[in-house]
Amino acid sequence: MSMEAMAPAVRKAVRERTSISLWRLVGNEYFLYIVSFIGFLLIWDWVAKAQILGRSLAPPSDVLGELRRLMAVELAGKNLLGHIWDSTRRIFIGFAIASAIAVPLGLLMALNRYVNAIVKPVFDIFKPMPPIAWISIAILWFGIEESSKIFIIVIGAFVPCLLNSYNGVRLIEPELYDVIRMLGGNRRNEIIQVCFPAAFPAIFSGLQISLSIAWTCVLAAELVSSRSGLGWIIIQGMRLTKPELVIGGMAIIALVAWLTTLLVSGLEKVICPWKRGIKAV
Amino acid sequence: MLVKISCKNIRKIFIQKGKMQVHVLEGISLDVYENEFVVILGPGQSGKTTLLRIIAGLETPTQGQVLLDGKEVKGPGADRGLVFQSYMLFPWRTVMGNVEVGPKLRGVPKRERRKIAAYYINLVGLAGYEKYYPHQLSGGMKQRVGIARAYANNPEVMLLDEPFGQLDAQTRYYMEKETARIWETEKRTVVFVTNNIEEAIFLGDRIITLEGKLPGRMKSIYKVNLPRPREHTDTAFLELRHKITEETKLLL
Repeated sequence: MSMEAMAPAVRKAVRERTSISLWRLVGNEYFLYIVSFIGFLLIWDWVAKAQILGRSLAPPSDVLGELRRLMAVELAGKNLLGHIWDSTRRIFIGFAIASAIAVPLGLLMALNRYVNAIVKPVFDIFKPMPPIAWISIAILWFGIEESSKIFIIVIGAFVPCLLNSYNGVRLIEPELYDVIRMLGGNRRNEIIQVCFPAAFPAIFSGLQISLSIAWTCVLAAELVSSRSGLGWIIIQGMRLTKPELVIGGMAIIALVAWLTTLLVSGLEKVICPWKRGIKAV
Repeated sequence: MLVKISCKNIRKIFIQKGKMQVHVLEGISLDVYENEFVVILGPGQSGKTTLLRIIAGLETPTQGQVLLDGKEVKGPGADRGLVFQSYMLFPWRTVMGNVEVGPKLRGVPKRERRKIAAYYINLVGLAGYEKYYPHQLSGGMKQRVGIARAYANNPEVMLLDEPFGQLDAQTRYYMEKETARIWETEKRTVVFVTNNIEEAIFLGDRIITLEGKLPGRMKSIYKVNLPRPREHTDTAFLELRHKITEETKLLL
């Protein structure tokens, strides 16, 4: 086909792509997000009102009303924000302790084979153990107060933090060290200039995994024994047979856990600016 | 002429998986003169990268030695600059950050090393790209950064390991011209490894061919007495290409 013959066809295609049509609106990503979300709420509402699952599913409006009530009314001495803060504080303390120990330890294990030889066998014993399995012993050791919950979170968050910082260093392209050596650098330069920055992305993906495990852990701990927190709210809803309270608690957990994840990825963007241009799926 | 690099009867045997021996180089003796552009030409699996890494000090020869200015090479050092086949830029550093690494490691103050880096970024034709990260650059641009990074450390010897092996034909040809231009602006002793005969003739003062099977041995040495800038279509160029092709073909 000659250029002249092709031109009208191309022009037509361009016109079709730019004109605002119903099809274009339906194909719009953000429009579909909204459709998906509203559709979900409508189906939920219908299933609840038709009582397909009996009385145990509250419609979205009831859940929202219950959450609004919890903002004003105190439950065990705290309103909703107080309970959110209790869970989040536990997460942050446990998560901070775990990452402060596990990340440097993982780096050290990757950099020094003696440290690796000493730590790895013990770590391998504890690695496959689900953190929830520690709940009973944690309560025996630390009682039912804050420390037992934080202990569970530390245990749960520890493993992915360590594994990811360890693998982050192990998977570095060895020729990158050669670059530093050729430029006249020593072992210390290699570690500071190559090891740390190259391991950052892996460390951050470890932190993200740790964070979601930390949320699982705090809920499990609060479900078993607690007087506050989002897990406790869910248990209260179950005891009082108030499905709107249970579902409200679940929704808030999802929301807060998502926000903390955003916080970590925001931190990653600040510390690893070279990854900003690369879009994650 | 002053001998800059001297390889004396180098043999290299790698030990793999505990006891399997791979004999890579045998009896390599070679002198490279000051400010000479030497090309080591050989097909894949001929030991040419290993030879370059031995000169760089990143590998130790099993037997024989490399002398730089008469002193034995005992390890890598800032007197040699290495340009890697797969670029090996630091993805967490910008173009400026990558190029200034060498002077930074030597403790050159920030303002001064920025000036040095800016000069070499400009020399390789990347002015304006100082703040880009490697993933935002094309292959040819990445290797320009690699060349600038090696130059910015002011080495006496430049070692290039198939630097344009990953580039398409046009970009490769363009980069060869750029390499000749940069070398003529900033004369250094260069050892350039390639598997491309035209690239070798276009760039080299001397071409050393390796035999195409392991262990790699030196086969022939060709002196390239063509005026620069060279033309691929020049009769003398084509004759030399024909000669080298004929003589290496037997081995392939």
